[in-house]
Amino acid sequence: MNGTGRPGDNQLGESTGDVRVGVYVCHCGGNISDVVDVKALAGLMAEYPHVAVAKEYPFMCSDPGQEIILEDIRANRVNRVVVASCSPTLHETTFRRALQRGGLNPYLYEHVNIREQVSWVHKDDHAAATRKALALVRAGVEKATRLDPLEALRVKAERRVAVIGGGPAGMSAALALAGAGLPVDLFEKGPALGGRLLEMGRVFPTGEEATALARRLAEDVAAQGSIRVHLGGEITRVDGYVGNFEVRVEEGGSQARVKAGALVLATGFDHYLPGAGEFGSGDAARVATLPEFQKALGSLPAGKVLRWRGREIRHLAFLHCVGSRQAEGLNPPQADGKVNDYCSRVCCTAALHAASQVLDRFPGTQVYDCHKDIRTYGRGHEAYYEDAAKKGALFFRYAEDALPEYLPASGLLPARLKFRDVLTWMEEVEVPADLLVLATGVVPRAIKGLVESLKLPVGADRFLQEAHPKLRPVEVANNGIFLAGTCQAPMTLDEACAAAGAAAAKAAQLLSQAEISLDPFVVELKAERCTGCGKCLEECSYSGALKLVDRPLAGLGATPPGPEGLSAAVIAVNEALCKGCGACVAVCEPRALELAGWHLDQFEAMAGAIAAS
Amino acid sequence: MANATLSYDVLVVGAGIAGLQASLDLADQGRKVLLVEKQPSIGGRMINLSKVFPTLDCASCITTPRMASVAHHPNIDTRTFAELKGLRREDGRFRATLRQKARFVDGARCIGCRSCEEACPVLVPDEYEHGLGARKAIRIPFTNAIPQLALLDMDHCTLCGLCARACPTDCIDFLQKDADTEVEAGAVILATGHELTRMDAKPHYGGARLPNVLSPMQAERLLAPHGAYGRVLRPSDGRIPDSIAYVQCAGSRDRSLGVPYCSRVCCMFAAKQAMLLSGSLPTADITIYYMDIRAFGKGYEQFVANARAMGIHFVKAKVARVTEDADHNPVVRLERQEDRGLPEEVTHDLVVLSLGMLPGADPVLEDFAGVRAAPDGFLESPQAPLAPARTSQPGVFAAGTATGPKDIVDSITEAGSAAMEAVGFLRRLGEGRP
Repeated sequence: MNGTGRPGDNQLGESTGDVRVGVYVCHCGGNISDVVDVKALAGLMAEYPHVAVAKEYPFMCSDPGQEIILEDIRANRVNRVVVASCSPTLHETTFRRALQRGGLNPYLYEHVNIREQVSWVHKDDHAAATRKALALVRAGVEKATRLDPLEALRVKAERRVAVIGGGPAGMSAALALAGAGLPVDLFEKGPALGGRLLEMGRVFPTGEEATALARRLAEDVAAQGSIRVHLGGEITRVDGYVGNFEVRVEEGGSQARVKAGALVLATGFDHYLPGAGEFGSGDAARVATLPEFQKALGSLPAGKVLRWRGREIRHLAFLHCVGSRQAEGLNPPQADGKVNDYCSRVCCTAALHAASQVLDRFPGTQVYDCHKDIRTYGRGHEAYYEDAAKKGALFFRYAEDALPEYLPASGLLPARLKFRDVLTWMEEVEVPADLLVLATGVVPRAIKGLVESLKLPVGADRFLQEAHPKLRPVEVANNGIFLAGTCQAPMTLDEACAAAGAAAAKAAQLLSQAEISLDPFVVELKAERCTGCGKCLEECSYSGALKLVDRPLAGLGATPPGPEGLSAAVIAVNEALCKGCGACVAVCEPRALELAGWHLDQFEAMAGAIAAS
Repeated sequence: MANATLSYDVLVVGAGIAGLQASLDLADQGRKVLLVEKQPSIGGRMINLSKVFPTLDCASCITTPRMASVAHHPNIDTRTFAELKGLRREDGRFRATLRQKARFVDGARCIGCRSCEEACPVLVPDEYEHGLGARKAIRIPFTNAIPQLALLDMDHCTLCGLCARACPTDCIDFLQKDADTEVEAGAVILATGHELTRMDAKPHYGGARLPNVLSPMQAERLLAPHGAYGRVLRPSDGRIPDSIAYVQCAGSRDRSLGVPYCSRVCCMFAAKQAMLLSGSLPTADITIYYMDIRAFGKGYEQFVANARAMGIHFVKAKVARVTEDADHNPVVRLERQEDRGLPEEVTHDLVVLSLGMLPGADPVLEDFAGVRAAPDGFLESPQAPLAPARTSQPGVFAAGTATGPKDIVDSITEAGSAAMEAVGFLRRLGEGRP
């Protein structure tokens, strides 16, 4: 790698010193061009030093758009490319790949964001937006002229996947990976595979026994010679990086270490536990959560009336959205001070599935359903809603501006649920409830240790956060770590199994080659400048990325030459662990550290261009 | 050439977002894929949308890079404007007949310069704009279409010959015929997608009859910055609408249409379009008449909360019918369930019917190797809930809305799972135990 960012150091311009920048301004359909004068912008940039061509086009990311760049590389000897379009998160790699197809080093590319940073935020002042876009594109060109060709880092990858969590998603992911020929280590902290399936009754929409499904998956896993199952072990630590993770697990008193090239997280969910007294919870004879009720329902003998803990249940009420769709100021906050404002996706169908079973088997029990919206969205789900309605369940829609109130039994009065009902024009209603079933939501499983050791991104809803819901739906920002199932969001069983397949697909793609290539934006060391002061170590948040090593003193520039045989501490960089954040560069006084692709002189030139605009 | 049958690991049918993703997930694992699309461009329905929920990313920005990756992938061959005409199992592999429909343009010579399109004097309603704009009889289907090949619509062509004279590569062939070819594959993924309820399916909603009652796809094109009008106008008189209403479940959860199921995406696309409309027309009044708001996906509930906070009116009401007044203003007759529940009539400037999703292909009619449909018309997935991508035939897998209504996120994840099913099947095939 080249330490100095002089213009003219790239493979095409090297002999001639001739930097020829191509500037491409994207309309983004109109997202940009409705605000920024793209024609004027391209026109002005065409006059800028080192710019060989400047063009605008409706969608630069489309195939014809990319073709314009390739044609200019061929015909106009363009050897640096600047695209002014959306956020680099979306399309930086798209354009780097295009450069590569055109025979140019993919890192001779600079992406300028004039959508999120310009057109979307300055809708009301087109002239000022165009001026700002111009300043940013000029800065991009200044940087582009100082870019060096870089080589992607190559990391050897362990051809094995560690799947954490032995529920349906974890088992499905393991099976898919084994099916593709990859060895798998499957970790389940419980004594058996199956996860939440082991504690469920019948599943919707097929009505199959959850335990039978768990058994079927576990048998398939056992039949795969390439899946090693670790049961009952506690994962004590996971570290490493893409291609080279290490999972440490304590199994029966001994520590095992498993190396894996990729991680699939299938850590699952917890049921929401109502707070003390929340809608009467705590009164175990009269109030149950839906998971408790579902689990028991299968073994209750059929009869005229449902019996629960020795009592006849003539009036059975379901209350939806317990622990989900909470509103600030209305619901008490959770432990972290926030409310669960998301929908838990599965509880409406689960509640109506249970209601429909009750109505089938206990015709003398009247069912009441108190909801905000009925969300039986999935294939076959609506049938439970229709069925329950047809068999006489009564539906109420409680007003969202107040919480329903649980009134305990007193004297001759049974326990009741009190709320205002939207469907009877805000009438105040009291529904008798010999048993109240709380349709509790889904919350993420507490996996603090994993989150901290792998620095996993967590969303505002506390579930693990994917990199992008459509571009990278089962990947987190950390390379080599994939999400399977409800660790990411509430899901039904089939959705969790599909997500597991998608996570397996990503892991299989990653490990389909012996080496993984990574972006080369890591710290470069000029060893001769390093004084071994160690300040960078304090700033680095990626353990192992930087460390002090001994080097023979002879030849080190910054310290006085010492006698033969003596050594001094200098920094060494582990490129695979470095995330290129640059925190170390900022504290390095002798400027021994620079970030490849983000040199300080490049920043200076960019700042200069913006100041001059 | 004549006898050689092209052979692939996997045949993917349908190049919408699910088919594109399944193809990439296979090809990136070294599998050879043939991707067949009956439309003239890959990209499916998603490339036709303005922006997508819940991130409000522009749909093109998410779709075009995948389209380009597929087009340039060394392991993927693509056939557009080609239909699967029968799929059979022979000696443990699949044999498919593909009908390449005539473009009346020599694909090998067309350079996509659009000279023919400029020369063509015939204007017809543009399918890509859902009838809101016009196109020529010969044209590139849309700006970011892949491939960038001209396509001649023989039903409207007057054979004037102007296009042939304008073409610099002499690639227009008025005599081109449909051509059938045979291909072979080890496994098949059906990503045949969905259709929308016909606009006239429920005549009392006025769809296809009243000019200011639109389909949601037309609304997408009104909102797309590069769409038909480039801004939001109503079709009857080009006026900027001040009051816009959405009729939810106009094609779903409706036994009278034979569609008892929920179409899963309509609540969210209505909320999204309402937010975009409110962005383009800040003073407009926007109302969504709904039965239940089903914002069940990740970040969806918060998205709808934002829509409410922007001032979009969510009104729980069932719409009975839509008529119009003398100025073509749609008049919505409804029963408001939150008020006294009396029928009333509300006049709006524009009404959008939130149509539902219907199956895109009939596997029996189209002879897909014995694959069955479920009673709802979508492909049967007999091994859901554990293996939702499996169909009733081993070796044939399904992705996306082929197995029922689904949003983009769910279609993409399911495509990954279908790809892994195909990979597993191919390996077992290779080891002699299919």
